[in-house]
Amino acid sequence: MSQKTWAEERPPEDFYRILDPEGKLQTDAPELADDELLELYRTFLSTRVLEEKMLNMQRSGEVSLVARTFGEEATPLGGAAALQSDDWIFYTYRQTPALLYWDLPMAEVIASATGHEPETIAEQLDTEDPPVNFPPGYTPIGVNVTNAVGSAMADAFNDRDTVTMVFTGDGSTSQGSFHDGMNFAGVFDVPAVIICQNNQWAISEPSQRQTASETFAQKADAYGLPNERVDGNDVFAVYEKASEAVERARSGGGATFIECVTYRMGAHNTSDNPDLYRDDSEQREYWEDRDPVDRFETYLRSEGVLDDETDAEIRDEIDERVTDAVDQARSISNSEPERMFDNTLHERSWREHHQRAELHRELNGDNPFVDFTGEGFDG
Amino acid sequence: MGSESEQLELNTDEMSMESEPDTEEMNLITAVNRTLRQEMNRNESVRLLGYDIGPLGGVYRGTEGLLEEFGGERVIDTPLSENGIIGTAAGMAMRGERPVPEIEFMGFFYPAFGQFMYAVVKTYKRTGGELEMPMTVRMPYGGGVKALEYHQESTETYFVHTPGVRVVCASTPAQTKGLLAESIRNDDPVIFLEPKKIYRGVEEPVPTDEYTLPLDEARVVRSGSDVTVLTWGAMVHQANAAAADVDADVEIIDLRSLSPLDIETILDSVSKTGRCVVLHEARRTLGLGAELSALINEYALDRLKAPIKRATGYDAHFPGHDIEDDYLPDDDRARYAIQAVMNYEF
Repeated sequence: MSQKTWAEERPPEDFYRILDPEGKLQTDAPELADDELLELYRTFLSTRVLEEKMLNMQRSGEVSLVARTFGEEATPLGGAAALQSDDWIFYTYRQTPALLYWDLPMAEVIASATGHEPETIAEQLDTEDPPVNFPPGYTPIGVNVTNAVGSAMADAFNDRDTVTMVFTGDGSTSQGSFHDGMNFAGVFDVPAVIICQNNQWAISEPSQRQTASETFAQKADAYGLPNERVDGNDVFAVYEKASEAVERARSGGGATFIECVTYRMGAHNTSDNPDLYRDDSEQREYWEDRDPVDRFETYLRSEGVLDDETDAEIRDEIDERVTDAVDQARSISNSEPERMFDNTLHERSWREHHQRAELHRELNGDNPFVDFTGEGFDG
Repeated sequence: MGSESEQLELNTDEMSMESEPDTEEMNLITAVNRTLRQEMNRNESVRLLGYDIGPLGGVYRGTEGLLEEFGGERVIDTPLSENGIIGTAAGMAMRGERPVPEIEFMGFFYPAFGQFMYAVVKTYKRTGGELEMPMTVRMPYGGGVKALEYHQESTETYFVHTPGVRVVCASTPAQTKGLLAESIRNDDPVIFLEPKKIYRGVEEPVPTDEYTLPLDEARVVRSGSDVTVLTWGAMVHQANAAAADVDADVEIIDLRSLSPLDIETILDSVSKTGRCVVLHEARRTLGLGAELSALINEYALDRLKAPIKRATGYDAHFPGHDIEDDYLPDDDRARYAIQAVMNYEF
């Protein structure tokens, strides 16, 4: 191991927890019916199966890049499960469980990673809109925090009881847009829930390089926002604190910030090689013992909600859904090149007409540079 | 500035109006204020947000009286953060609002470029046209007011270079009313540039009824046969002054929309006159004049009787008060450029 790797610093563990790493309750479980518990379990598993499948597709060159949620699933899942239909979720690239919980079609999740133009995906996938609203996933994290707060301002001004939830990370708390979003959320007292999925790594830099604060949660104090710090690998803890925050937001009590402490088990994404920068020999084992799915499964079995037969049924069903989704995503044909111009502005300008025609000629093997009058020409 | 009423005649055809509408004399900032009020009355999803726009009414008083009339949820004084203003406006626009953020000075926009590039201009495309971003960012731009640093910028190039946004610039009170109303009603993001140098310098009769002006058509300010001056905003007035003072029949085109450009009008004019001067406050290198010159070279080179000249700001930081008049193009610089292309012989 190179000496240039970062030493990991384990974050303080005095956070809120309901289900301990062994799957035992430390306090009362949230009131969830058996079918709701199984829905959480199903989403946990479908995320793992789907992301594993996408990883294989990346290895075979079908998908350009995959960032997995592996090991962090409880945070986006517990958060999203606290919402209702018509709410909004501003997500990034590591919240697959939130998407699947609210039935964003798996084929769309895959297609967004295959690099197709959005119009092509919409046109070729016959899918239904999910019951909650998802703006497009954000790559520059932090930007979404400000937009989510704007979304919540719109709800507040229109006296709607919709809630906006936004997922951000440890790294993005260093961004101006994170600060702006938090600050506006406090000042305008908006119905938003801001969740920091603190997986302790932002590509190659650990959280101690993002902040000298002891916790990320305490940052919210400076913005006048109520805040919580929870075990991000405990879906019950995340769900309960997110539910309280959603209720506060919906009833006019303003925004809440929740830091969910988890750990990035794998690489940042498939283009990343963490061996170059982190020595995870201690933390890996530690966090493997705290896997969010294992502890939830243990709990469900101990409560008699899950048995081998149900588990096998769920797994078979997921395998089938993922296979179907992969087939659907694979059936999407590449975009017509001219599509790059679609939805730039609502109307086609001269330059758009002209450059479409140039591209068309080039694709036909004709010289595109034949217009010397600007009067245009046929594609 | 003086009276320039002969150059500022209303084109009532373009406004879809009777030839002699009721009018009121007003300056440009008053036209901004009246138009904001008109559009806020017309559509309750129009919300203003920005710094100092509430009780103060904007540093240039563009929003004066609007807080009183529409309340704090429609005229929103924000924390001091341009990135926050543009970022929350983007979030509102995603939710069906029609925000009209004000950035106090164009030189204060820089912190907002993140939200502008990541959220404002890209969302419509990224959602395949599903989520629209109907917001109009108002900004005073330009020099000539003896202001502090960062209060004189003309950085329209940054925006013009970016797809997914319109860039509009008004040059008179009546133009302001029609273009601002159309910008607010348009479903694309619009950067709306207001020439602060002439906020109060020029008055003209402005029709009192509602009207809009097209965002995709340049305006022929005066017709001429010898040389075309392409310009916009405050510089339209320098072009007029220069045109009155040269021995040439000058055609002046006020671009109005800097992005996209009305290329037909530009090429028609230059093809007719065979000579062209671009007049703008912005720095020369990659200023919009560079693109205009390139377009004319590509599509009307054989009609040119002289090379195109760009009378612009210099490629330097905007200087202090004491020498800013030497930086900015004025009537003389415009006149010299016109004379130079008139005297040129191949």
